[in-house]
Amino acid sequence: MLSLTTLCSPNETAASSSYQPPVFRLRSYNQTLPPTLCSASDSVANQPKMSSPDEQDPRISKISSAIRVIPNFPKPGIMFQDITTLLLDTKAFRDTIDLFVERYRGKDISVVAGIEARGFIFGPPIALAIGAKFVPMRKPNKLPGEVISEEYSLEYGTDKIEMHVGAVQAGERSLIIDDLIATGGTLCAAIRLLERVGVHVVECACVIELPELKGRERLGDKPLFVLVSST
Amino acid sequence: MFAAENGLKGDPRLQAISDAIRVVPHFPKQGIMFQDITTLLLDHKAFKHTIDIFVDRYRDMDISVIAGVEARGFMFGPSIALAIGAKFVPLRKPKKLPGEVISEAYELEYGTDCLEMHVGAVPPGERVIVIDDLVATGGTLSAAIRLLERVGAQVVECACVIGLPEVKGQRRLNGKPLYILVEPREIDGCC
Repeated sequence: MLSLTTLCSPNETAASSSYQPPVFRLRSYNQTLPPTLCSASDSVANQPKMSSPDEQDPRISKISSAIRVIPNFPKPGIMFQDITTLLLDTKAFRDTIDLFVERYRGKDISVVAGIEARGFIFGPPIALAIGAKFVPMRKPNKLPGEVISEEYSLEYGTDKIEMHVGAVQAGERSLIIDDLIATGGTLCAAIRLLERVGVHVVECACVIELPELKGRERLGDKPLFVLVSST
Repeated sequence: MFAAENGLKGDPRLQAISDAIRVVPHFPKQGIMFQDITTLLLDHKAFKHTIDIFVDRYRDMDISVIAGVEARGFMFGPSIALAIGAKFVPLRKPKKLPGEVISEAYELEYGTDCLEMHVGAVPPGERVIVIDDLVATGGTLSAAIRLLERVGAQVVECACVIGLPEVKGQRRLNGKPLYILVEPREIDGCC
């Protein structure tokens, strides 16, 4: 099943007839081989048909324009992508969840792991719709009972993410949800946590990607699906 | 008021929800029997029942905003909001929300804490439900009510999955109705 990863900046719209569509990356959901390992004949077979660029899903541009950018938060130089305005737009929020649910329903995913705190907003509705468990991945000392922890690097220093022991079983298929991927540090820690207990992380899913921070590359061979890419 | 006394007496979903909640003794400190809803989130059916009960209650009450208290209110609020066509507004700890916020302080056992909401998130006159996983003293929910009333919103009700004994028998908080699904679980034979 092919799906669309759009590279649409928040200010682009598809309204005008002279609109130049942004570059699309069609990413096969079941892609397991990185392109360099494909044989020549495989690479033809595996190439998605691109005789004409697919239209971006019409819901995406409204989602993108519902996200508010706050300059210089939490510190100077950072253009903060604020999804709270998306949550105030009932149709755009509904569409956001629907886009993820349409992608993941029927794919035998039993776990949706959400990263504190904004992953808690998007993850549970997706989990409910696809019949999966929701597993919160939290900052230290928030989860009661026995936890496992994974440390990860920040710009200065380190942080930790925790998950309950026993929340997930080895062999389960999982998504990881967060509102945004920047450097990918937190998502990588979440992947490691789940893999340590034998879970198969099928894909990471975010509303927004900041491609300049190269989070996608940091995830390596773990697929990433985003709705909006913000440069 | 508890759901069982308010139209859902004998509803098997309430037992399923209660059974899915885990008690963790002495967290975050000695003497506290922590009501852990993460096990409810692992039980898809029971989690769905939880959301369905709130949705059934609020869908015809002309509610335009669900306000969820960080962080466990975020796990329940958005699904309810989506189902009833309401906005979701996060009420957060200090300095998490970007842009212009208003703040409301509230008392803890030792010291104070603060809840923040975005300026402009809730226009005056909108009908709001405040949601959190659990109500104990009601301090956090009271702060949430004050925040919303300061911007002219109408808090219709506060909704929680679990209500601690301090609120048993209390039908109102700050003058606002309180709707609770279950009482806290106890552990047999525990200290």
